[in-house]
Amino acid sequence: MSSNALYKFILTLGFLSLFHAAYSAAQHRSYLRLNELDFTRLPTDIFIQALISLFVIIYGVLHVVGDFKEIKASADLENKSWETFRNVQAFYTFCHRGQSFST
Amino acid sequence: MSAKSKQDAIAYSEGAIRNNLSIVEYCRTSMAALSGCTAGLLGLTSLHGAFFYIFALISLWLMILFKAGFSNWDKYFISRKALLTNGFFGQLFTYILCWTFIYGMVHVY
Repeated sequence: MSSNALYKFILTLGFLSLFHAAYSAAQHRSYLRLNELDFTRLPTDIFIQALISLFVIIYGVLHVVGDFKEIKASADLENKSWETFRNVQAFYTFCHRGQSFST
Repeated sequence: MSAKSKQDAIAYSEGAIRNNLSIVEYCRTSMAALSGCTAGLLGLTSLHGAFFYIFALISLWLMILFKAGFSNWDKYFISRKALLTNGFFGQLFTYILCWTFIYGMVHVY
């Protein structure tokens, strides 16, 4: 439960970081427009921040969404023994010779 | 004869397969949307965006395999290749939608 909260925190952090990178890119663009420069490429720090926050978000999503289940049909039966399956309560019988020993 | 074919056939649990695939589908959709946002943010145009999409898909594939475990992924998925290629074009439209939207928000306006 607490690990899920941790991954949600990571997810939030990634979204904030991505939004910050987008805002920085928009500001860089307006700076270029004001100085009448041509756009060639984004500054490296914004580029790296965007990529890293993308990976952080995906990491968070992968862990928030849940765990995989084993697809083998016998996966949850494997650690049960035959004795467990044979144990059918409707076939219990108490009316046997053991009764006479207990009295 | 029948005993041998019984040994070869593997019984899969349908509910578990569906659960895994729905998890992967969720991840893939969010990856398409988010990588589209990132591509628009980075100001990628034309083929760079397509390459970024392929890069994002492959990294998502690797991350899913990492989560499942590189050596025992076959416990959770039937095919590793289908995991990579499923819904390639379906998610491409989600990607392009987010890409153009964020590109317009950041770089045009």
